[in-house]
Amino acid sequence: MTTAVVTPARGGEVSDVLRRLAVVFAEFEGRLAQTPLIRKLTRGRFSPDDYRAFLSGLRQQVKDGALWMSRAASNIGEAHLELRSRLMRHAVTEHRDFRLLEADYVAAGGELAEIQGAEKNIGSEALSAWMFHEASKPEPFGLLGAMWIIEGLGQIKALEWGRAAQRRLGLPDEAVRFLIYHGENDAAHIEEFEAMLGLVLPDPATARRIVRTAEVTARLYVLQIEEIVS
Amino acid sequence: MTLLRDAYITGAGAYLPGAPVANDRIEDHIGRVHGRCSLLGRRALRWNGVQTRHYAMDSEGHATDSNAGMCAKAVRAALDDAGLGHADLDYLAAATTQGDYLVPGHGVTVHGELGGGPIEVASFQSVCGSALMAAKAAWLSVRAGEHNVAAACAGEFSSRWFQPGFYEGSALVDDKGRLAAEADFLRFTLSDGAGAIVIEPAPQPGALSLRIDHIDVVSLAGAFEPCMWAGGDRENRSDAAQGWSQAGPLAAHAAGSIALLQDFDLLKRVIRAWVGVYLKKVDEGRIVPDEVDWLLCHYSAQSLRDELMSLLDKTAGAIPPEKWFSNLATVGNVGSASIWVMLDEFLKSGRLQRGQKVLCVVPESGRALVGFMMLEAV
Repeated sequence: MTTAVVTPARGGEVSDVLRRLAVVFAEFEGRLAQTPLIRKLTRGRFSPDDYRAFLSGLRQQVKDGALWMSRAASNIGEAHLELRSRLMRHAVTEHRDFRLLEADYVAAGGELAEIQGAEKNIGSEALSAWMFHEASKPEPFGLLGAMWIIEGLGQIKALEWGRAAQRRLGLPDEAVRFLIYHGENDAAHIEEFEAMLGLVLPDPATARRIVRTAEVTARLYVLQIEEIVS
Repeated sequence: MTLLRDAYITGAGAYLPGAPVANDRIEDHIGRVHGRCSLLGRRALRWNGVQTRHYAMDSEGHATDSNAGMCAKAVRAALDDAGLGHADLDYLAAATTQGDYLVPGHGVTVHGELGGGPIEVASFQSVCGSALMAAKAAWLSVRAGEHNVAAACAGEFSSRWFQPGFYEGSALVDDKGRLAAEADFLRFTLSDGAGAIVIEPAPQPGALSLRIDHIDVVSLAGAFEPCMWAGGDRENRSDAAQGWSQAGPLAAHAAGSIALLQDFDLLKRVIRAWVGVYLKKVDEGRIVPDEVDWLLCHYSAQSLRDELMSLLDKTAGAIPPEKWFSNLATVGNVGSASIWVMLDEFLKSGRLQRGQKVLCVVPESGRALVGFMMLEAV
């Protein structure tokens, strides 16, 4: 993945950044589809063990999500209070989501102690370290790019994966709530995201950093999925 | 060293067999599986928005033409439109999804129907995108100085593949006699016809011609499984080693591997990937939406869901509806032939003005491919 060359275009910087982010996301989807776990899911060779490994792999990043978002909010200065408020609200909304994921794991036949005691895989370690590193910087606006990737997953991929897993494995609704709930709740995603970009743009350095952060986050997220083994 | 020449579309032609067939008469032509009307047809038609189409199959189920025969007629029409005759032709690039024969190729089969002396030919087999593959070969051969009159044609005889015999007695029909959705949907989506263009190193004197500025065909097959396919069963379709000829024709038919199928879940992802490729072209400056005067897209705007239209809008990638020209609703989705059938009607509509830019977009769900052709009227 290479960084897009920043060229002036007609729609203003918010449109330019959104377009580059859309391209990053499209390439990200293509790479996700090639990971062993997702190939199993789409080709019908997905097992209950794979599903539990998937939830266990996701839990680490879901649990950290609200934490890095809170840390990022604490590093946003007075000039961007509205963005700080939005990140804080976002963190509050999501910070208990990993409990839902744990309940799904149990409903899918797993032991609570297993998912709670699971270690981060190599990709999750890298992703988490990267997020906290970025969130610890002053004015960490690049993380909007990371949010685009992770929220996009929730909006676009989670429902698709949840339904595929349910169909393949005949899982009860209680075992796929995390994935399906995410897919159904993030419909206004792009509107909200556009508004957040408008709070920090135009600024060429910020624009570049947002796209770059999306690229790195996408690559590390794929690594996290690659490293999930049942 | 010879410099590359500019090359121009100097003529376009289309051949649509028979009279237009309305939605309520489709199954008279393609037949009814086990004699039962389709349950899905109406839903497919709502989604694709097609109101009339053409079939090279009459209401008795008899073929009235062949794929190659329709292509030859379209090539003749395009040559005529360019003010040429078929003796002038020296290169023919022929495209299709499924030709009349397994062997030999579509190119020689079309030449056989066209008749005439020795010419160079090339065959391009893919799905809708094969049209632009053939156009690129024809364009480059003129551009390089190899040929002075090249034709690119594309044709489909899809209805032949929709006859009940392709499904009956196979795993695609359940014990209640119902045809699987992944097969039935396409029966109400695709239809027959052919289209062609002629490419020369100079504009046609006294008429509008279209300079070809670029043709880009992008395959994402490295990251996608087949999305529309024939020749493999649903579960094993990514394993080319298990293609239909391995099992042999009878076993492949029984497994449902001969019919044309579409994976709708995957299609949603493929559509997003097409939009991603397009936005990358916009970002690189290869396509500048503001400079496009006309968009001919082999996909209906209504099939791109609201979220994608909104994404295009917010990323300054959208081309406003008044610049879209399409005849999909009246001539049907003719696969690879669609873009030439559309271009032909567009050129004859008198809308195009000298100096205007025309962007042709041809997505192919086969295995996540999309092609773009940028033209300028001179």
